[in-house]
Amino acid sequence: MSQMSLWWWALPVVLLPILWHRQKREQTKTALLASARFLPAAEPKMQRVWRWHDVVLMLLRCLLLATLIALLADLVLAWRGDTVLVVPGTPAAVVDREAAQRITLADRDAVTWLHAHEREFERNARLVVVGDAVMPAVLPRFRHAVALRTSAMPVAPAERHVAVFSDRADAWRRLFAAAEGPWHIVVDAVPGPRTDLVVWDRPDAPPAGLGGRLWHADGGPPRDADRARALFAAWQRQFLGPLPYTAPAQTLAPDAAAPAGPASGALRHWLGLALVVLFALERIVTHVRRR
Amino acid sequence: MLSASSLIAHATNLDLVVRHVLAGLGHGIHAGRERGAGVEFSEYRAYAPGDEWRRVDWKLLARADRYYVREAERDSHVAVWLVLDATASMAEPSRTIEGLTKLQYARVLLACVAAIAQRQGDAFGLVVCRGERADFTPAGRGPRQLQRVLARLNGVDAGGVLPGADTLRASLHFSRAPGVVCVASDFLDWPSPLSDALLRLRRMRHDVRALCLHTQAEVEAAFDTAPSYRDPEHGDVFYRFGSDVRDTYARNRAAHFDEVVRACRKNDLPLVQACIEQAPGEVLRAWLRAHIAGVRGA
Repeated sequence: MSQMSLWWWALPVVLLPILWHRQKREQTKTALLASARFLPAAEPKMQRVWRWHDVVLMLLRCLLLATLIALLADLVLAWRGDTVLVVPGTPAAVVDREAAQRITLADRDAVTWLHAHEREFERNARLVVVGDAVMPAVLPRFRHAVALRTSAMPVAPAERHVAVFSDRADAWRRLFAAAEGPWHIVVDAVPGPRTDLVVWDRPDAPPAGLGGRLWHADGGPPRDADRARALFAAWQRQFLGPLPYTAPAQTLAPDAAAPAGPASGALRHWLGLALVVLFALERIVTHVRRR
Repeated sequence: MLSASSLIAHATNLDLVVRHVLAGLGHGIHAGRERGAGVEFSEYRAYAPGDEWRRVDWKLLARADRYYVREAERDSHVAVWLVLDATASMAEPSRTIEGLTKLQYARVLLACVAAIAQRQGDAFGLVVCRGERADFTPAGRGPRQLQRVLARLNGVDAGGVLPGADTLRASLHFSRAPGVVCVASDFLDWPSPLSDALLRLRRMRHDVRALCLHTQAEVEAAFDTAPSYRDPEHGDVFYRFGSDVRDTYARNRAAHFDEVVRACRKNDLPLVQACIEQAPGEVLRAWLRAHIAGVRGA
């Protein structure tokens, strides 16, 4: 309950049209009094009876208010059952082993997506994440049982273009050729549009207008392997950010106390549409009734 | 024994109630005229075919050799006109005696007056004002006329409002002949076409006797506070009765009827005010003697 939107407390507003549409009746208990003219006139006592006029309009107004509140409260229906979350790039053979509804994620960050959308899943839904999902910084907590069947996928080395301005260009080429892992470095003679990095290894100042990121390298390429690794690490840290690890395969036990993720807004579109339609209908019916 | 008012409330036979009320109440309406002394001669007129032979003056025929008919004054007996206000407000019930309304009470008293008039040999007629109309029963004499008037009175139910001034003027054409006009009403509308007509009749030297009917609850300003009230004749305005407006009610009512009494006294029109819970015999006596006592209050 603590996670429910406070807007749900506005739900009694729906009672207002129901009260407004109650039929008014003059007080039925009136008696004739011949000498009533000697009395001061009084307002006729009106009684509201538990009967309604313009029931269609009343229902429309109630629906309108309820929809508005649902929209504000960002209603999320738990409508997804057992689901397989597929990280993009997962081989079809791996996906086909799981017999459940599939959702193909937009990126590798399955945990973040799951946090945002967890309220859409039924209470007993079992979730499976397949593919090369990213490992979060801390162990995630979910209200559902989530099985991470992750597997690191061989990553095709990304081509990175480097332009070297140096007297020791050969040494730089050797260094870049020795790069391991997801690196495939192409050394260009002149910086082009695809150039990621410009290495400036000359004593004079670089001219303005060199494309890509400029990297001053004083003292030439590193001479041993440790320094070269440190150099690559620095490059990566500075320009590419940390590379995500693949989350280890495991099963996360459901944790009832886990905080529900933010509202997903999965129904927001439909609720908004319904609101517009209901508003138009309400106006039309009101207009028709007035005539 | 039932009180006479309760009897009115429960009896359906007006004739019986009239007998009951009139038992031991043989007083007349007006000083009786000597009757049977023959009709007073007025003029001769030439005979016209269709005239009764016995009305031809034979001596004159012998002298003038022409047929003349003796014209005589019509019977100059006083005609008694019973005017019943049967507007919706006369349906006001007695809040203490179940089933008794002002209309029933008024109709019994008027029936009594009719019975007395019949016993005296006077002609009597009836005018019932209701629903913007004045229903007119021509004056006549005798027991059959009494039955006619009683039946008419029995069939009256309260409804509508008083007729307009023009209607009343057209209906009260009897005012040419001298008469006794007995009016029973609640006089809640005053001035009204009816009151104007009465004052006009009084100025024409008719013997107008008004009976103003109240209920005990009206006099004491004691009504049920629970329901909203409506005026039966005037619109859909709602009224409320409570202890806080009781004084206002009494004050307004007293002011109204003071005005009525003042107008009657000014025009020398005897007005008797009575509550319908009072014994009808006493009220009838007071009413018939009002011209002696002058204007009296209830």
